[in-house]
Amino acid sequence: MITLTHFLVVSAILFCIGLYAMVSKRNAIMVLIGIELIINAAILNFVAFGRYDKVNYGGQVFALFAIVLAAAAVAVGLAIILNVYRKYKTINPDNITDLRD
Amino acid sequence: MVAVEQISPVFAAIVVVALPFIAFLIQALLGKRSTSGNISLIAICLSTVISMVCVFAEVWQSIPRSATQPWFTIGINTFTVGVLLNNLTVLMQLLICVIALPVHIYSRAYMKGDPGIHRYWMYLSLFCFAMLGLCISKNLFMMYIFWELVGFASYLLIGFWFTKESAVQANKKAFIVNRIGDLGFLIGIATVFSVYGSLDLVELFGKEGRFYSVASENSGLLTLAGIGFFIGAMAKSAQFPLHVWLPDAMEGPTAVSSLIHAATMVAAGIFLLSSVFPLFNDTVLLIIAIIGVTTAASAAYFALAQTDIKKILAFSTISQLGFMMVAIGVGAWDAAMFHLVTHAFFKCLLFLGAGAVIHEMAHLKHDHHLDFDPQNINNMGGLRKQMPKTFVLMAIASLALAGFPLTSGFLSKDAILISSYEWAISKGGASILIPMLLTIVSVLTAFYIGRLIFKVFFGEFKLPLSPSNIQDANKTMLLPMAFLGICSLFFVFSFNPISYHDANVFQGFYVDYSFEEVHTLHLLIPIGLTLASCFMWIIAWRWYVKGSYPLNAASKGIAFSLNQAYLNQFYTRTIVAGTVNLSKGLYWFDRNIIDGIVNQLGTLAKGISRVAAWIDKYIVDGLINTLGGTTYYFGHLLRWVQNGRLQNYLGFAFTVLLIGIIYLILT
Repeated sequence: MITLTHFLVVSAILFCIGLYAMVSKRNAIMVLIGIELIINAAILNFVAFGRYDKVNYGGQVFALFAIVLAAAAVAVGLAIILNVYRKYKTINPDNITDLRD
Repeated sequence: MVAVEQISPVFAAIVVVALPFIAFLIQALLGKRSTSGNISLIAICLSTVISMVCVFAEVWQSIPRSATQPWFTIGINTFTVGVLLNNLTVLMQLLICVIALPVHIYSRAYMKGDPGIHRYWMYLSLFCFAMLGLCISKNLFMMYIFWELVGFASYLLIGFWFTKESAVQANKKAFIVNRIGDLGFLIGIATVFSVYGSLDLVELFGKEGRFYSVASENSGLLTLAGIGFFIGAMAKSAQFPLHVWLPDAMEGPTAVSSLIHAATMVAAGIFLLSSVFPLFNDTVLLIIAIIGVTTAASAAYFALAQTDIKKILAFSTISQLGFMMVAIGVGAWDAAMFHLVTHAFFKCLLFLGAGAVIHEMAHLKHDHHLDFDPQNINNMGGLRKQMPKTFVLMAIASLALAGFPLTSGFLSKDAILISSYEWAISKGGASILIPMLLTIVSVLTAFYIGRLIFKVFFGEFKLPLSPSNIQDANKTMLLPMAFLGICSLFFVFSFNPISYHDANVFQGFYVDYSFEEVHTLHLLIPIGLTLASCFMWIIAWRWYVKGSYPLNAASKGIAFSLNQAYLNQFYTRTIVAGTVNLSKGLYWFDRNIIDGIVNQLGTLAKGISRVAAWIDKYIVDGLINTLGGTTYYFGHLLRWVQNGRLQNYLGFAFTVLLIGIIYLILT
């Protein structure tokens, strides 16, 4: 049978994939996707833990909130990427090094 | 006349002093453009007139005047400058003027054509200024300044012909010997100041002066002060053994010698001692008297064998100054001042006459292109036929010097001799030696001056050529001499040719003698001395004119006298050589010991510095550089972390997070 551990492992794998994508991808869109994956890993955890809260379904509710937030965040992120593209004519994070002095 | 009377004597006295100084300045500024000496002559003329009319006539035998002006203050002591006019100072000032004036006039002819004539007038004015200032100074400090100036001016004048080696040596000698005396004077001043706290002559020796009101418990200090002043006077007034500069000072122009010898420089010592006379206690007075009589005797002895006409006169001056010193020593400083005044005239005349003779001899030498010493009396003789006027004047001066009746010298010399006899009688004991020696000196004086006159003016001309070119000097030179000749006679000073007590000059001073008057002496001494002098002249006449008593020129006594008792050689061997050796020793010490130590220290310091530099460079700097380098290395290491790439930052963040989690898990 499928236990909580299975969920957590899947979640960890998802998190790691997301993290990897976020750190290594040369495309800001892919970085955003990596963030989404991380958020999804977190949401999966919420849902998995939600099984133990049968009274309020706190996990599910949190998951819903997180999904909404992720959607909003991605919207904002896309807007930022569009603006970055307009300014730098690239969306490769490696080339955008304005944080460096 | 009203206007003249309204001028204050003090102001007039300052003008008298200032005029030669102004002449000196103008002469110095004009330089070679002014060679006539008119400026100096006008200045001294005006000084003489003002000194006589506005100063001497006002103050002599009247109330003393003085004026004081604060000069500077050190601590609580205020030093002043001031003018003091009393019988002594106005007499001295007038005397200097009256002697300087004929010398100035005489110099116009005598120094004519000298290439350095413009300097001559300049120096002469400076000298007169210094001397006139000296005699009216109110305080000892100011006096000292003028005293130094007199020394300096005489240095310039003695070395006037500075291309002559002997003149340069002579002025150096005069200056150095005078410096020794100045040191004594300075010690005297310092001692007086430390005891009485004042240098003002009126404050010290006035009627209610500190000298009488402040009882000094330390008589040793007073003796020291008295000796100090006396050493100052010893050098200036050429007293034994500091007299050595005066015969050498003959290297200066004759007119200068005349001025120095008559009334100015050598008189300054007598004047100084008269000014501070109350200071001297019995010990100092006795020393003064002994030194004075030694000087008088030794100089008279040295004068006997000299062949240089000016040197004979120089030793005669020294001898006469010894007379004055004895007078001061026995307490009769009025007699000293009287002799100073009378001596000034006839000695000045003697020098001017000698100058006239030398002038003619030098011309003769020049005309015949011969090489002989124009000052050597052995080259002269029979000059009375060629220079009758000079001869008469010189004869008058010589009679005065020898103390012949009807001359001024008779009065003043008797004053000194009689006073010293009276003093010796009151003292008793061995003190009778002093007046007895003086008597002998007095007789010797008659002899050596007789020798000079006979050798120069009588007999045959010694050089193998005709003396027909030799003639009396022109009027510019003769008139001043004639004036001085008149002043060498008795009636200028006293209408009574026998008794010195009636002399005007004598009556101006009020001296309390420490001895009783002995009336028989006033009769015995003049007669005895006159007879003895006449006898000496007869001997001298036979000796030098008739050629009797031939004498061995190589005899020891004559050589001893001619060489001034080898005193100069003695000084050269002991003091000069000693000083030179000491200097050499000090030079060696400085060179090897002091410099050696300094050099060693330098080397040591250099070594220490090298070590310090090494430590600094390799240890201190090394430490700091290592620290800096390490820091830089670490900084360099961490620099690539901050590369501005978001993804890297994220990666780091997660890495750190991961490490943290692993750490938490492991613990």
